[in-house]
Amino acid sequence: MKKTMLAELFKRREFTVTGIIIILAILFGSLSSNFLSISNITNIFIQISSIGIAAIGMTMIIVTGGIDVSAGSILGIVAVITAKAALTGLPTPLILILGITTGALLGSINGSLVSFMGIPPIIATLGTMSFFRAMVFQLLGGRWISSFPDSFRRISTGNFLNIPLPICFMFFLAIIFTYYLEYRPTGRYIYAIGNSVEAARVSGIPTKRVLLLVYIFAGMMFGISGVIVAARTGIVQTNTGAGFELAVIAATVLGGTNILGGEGSAIGSILGALLLAIITNGMILVNLPALTEGLIIGIIIIISVFTDIMKLRRRRYQYE
Amino acid sequence: MNKFLDIVANNRNIFLGLILIFLIFVFSFIVPNFFELYNISNMTQYGIEIGLLAFAEALIIISGGGGIDLSVGSLLSLSAMVIGVLVGRHNFNIWAAVIFGLGTGALGGAFNGFLVNLIKIPPLLVTLSTMYIYQSLALLVSVEPQFGNPMPISKFPNNYLFIGQSTILGVPFQALIIFIPIFFILNYYLKYTTFGRNLYAVGNNEKAARFSGLSVEKTRFITYLIGGILVGIAAVIMTSRISSARPDLGENYNLQAITTAVLGGVSIFGGEGNMVGVLFSIGIIVVLYNGLQLAGVNAIWQMGALGLVLIGSALGHNMLFQRAERLQSMTQLSVSKDLK
Repeated sequence: MKKTMLAELFKRREFTVTGIIIILAILFGSLSSNFLSISNITNIFIQISSIGIAAIGMTMIIVTGGIDVSAGSILGIVAVITAKAALTGLPTPLILILGITTGALLGSINGSLVSFMGIPPIIATLGTMSFFRAMVFQLLGGRWISSFPDSFRRISTGNFLNIPLPICFMFFLAIIFTYYLEYRPTGRYIYAIGNSVEAARVSGIPTKRVLLLVYIFAGMMFGISGVIVAARTGIVQTNTGAGFELAVIAATVLGGTNILGGEGSAIGSILGALLLAIITNGMILVNLPALTEGLIIGIIIIISVFTDIMKLRRRRYQYE
Repeated sequence: MNKFLDIVANNRNIFLGLILIFLIFVFSFIVPNFFELYNISNMTQYGIEIGLLAFAEALIIISGGGGIDLSVGSLLSLSAMVIGVLVGRHNFNIWAAVIFGLGTGALGGAFNGFLVNLIKIPPLLVTLSTMYIYQSLALLVSVEPQFGNPMPISKFPNNYLFIGQSTILGVPFQALIIFIPIFFILNYYLKYTTFGRNLYAVGNNEKAARFSGLSVEKTRFITYLIGGILVGIAAVIMTSRISSARPDLGENYNLQAITTAVLGGVSIFGGEGNMVGVLFSIGIIVVLYNGLQLAGVNAIWQMGALGLVLIGSALGHNMLFQRAERLQSMTQLSVSKDLK
């Protein structure tokens, strides 16, 4: 029994990704003495917190068989609205709530288009991506916002038990959503929908409502990321969050979420985000030109999916 | 009125045509010099480049199996940079460089096709990765060795510029000699050749196509290859029109091409759509962009409006489609009653 559990663990995608992370960490650590310093590791974790949190939301969407390319634009709108609220001197907890609510609202627009109007997710979110981006511009009026009060900056610079707040947020959300996805009925419905919408509907799952809920949850995650990004960078402009969605999708897919739906975990996606961050961070430390970043990320996505597919083929071969 | 709705519901191209006429009508009221020759010629030049990318995207989406290409814009940048670097830094003959540029497009498309069809990675992931890869390669290629920075190249010979800047009888050269023939060839190819019909069969029902002896992989691979070549052609036209090559040339086109194709009635599930619809869609997008620009609306709202049009057209299509379906089931009902 124990042996099969161990074998099961080795087969998990999270295990492979952790292995690659450790190997890369040792490699970069031996190439650059700074890489394994506490400050650099903290730095990497703060960097991934926004992508990691958004990746939790993206994981749920991709598990249902959908995709959300409007994540970066939602992040942008939330960043603008919370930045404006911060300038008016609203207390920080209220700003956070405002950000989450805005994200939920925007997510519910995507969710209604996908679930109740029956528009394919890629089309619906492609449309809202452009529209939300235009809204960001409209809200900013072509200017940028900076010089936030310190109380707002503390969302990214503050500590809780000596751990920076964004990292706390990320782990807290990862634990909650892992529990939700693994043990709550609605969490299991999400996987059921991803495996077969038709089967899920027939077995009495309110598929449309669950889908809407998933997009709202994801919107909330993008909202939290938006607040963190605004607080960390200290500036919000029209292109804040542009291209963010692709980094999030890349992290999610690297973490083992099946792009066809039905498979994936929040922890895996955060590990995926960590792997991406280690690569970009390590490349800077060993002086590789930043221009090769996209090249390496692209190749890693292809290789990781390729290994998945080989595994799947072998499994199928064994069954036959 | 109902009969009119039925016709529109059953023919998406008429639906698109009506939107186009409506937009032209609106803008000709708001914008005074909308109909000037200079403006129309400008619109055509812009429409041709986005149009070629949209054609590539349409073919790939029609081929089904989750077919989609997020990498067209990045590949455009890469092809353009290859042409620019060969001419500007290595003093190649311009036409040799053009052939290399087209080859880069073909190679990029073939690489996508290879990963999708032989390794069997879902297209969304393949092209997400290659979007990063081609963009990164475009930047790497553009690095000026002397300074170590990515630099644009504007050293194109004068005998190259006629492709994107000259006119024949007032019509832009690239429209008459390149775009219109490509449109007719693709249209003919999809409608009347075995290969085109195979493409629809493969996109509609992969299993059925396989059982009828079609090679799904081969058909799709060739589609990605053709898509890449179309992107290469767009790169040639673009570098010639602006007589320079920049590594960020295709930045906004990745998603715009998909939007154009889908607006043109290409079903994201594959097996459905035609070039005439995409042509109308290109018209709508160009008129919308140009009209908003001339009306003094900020450029970012062009994308915003495009997003609204995309969602609106998907909604409108869904509603009309449901109506058509309901009518169909009603006629089927009456037929089955007759049989009894």
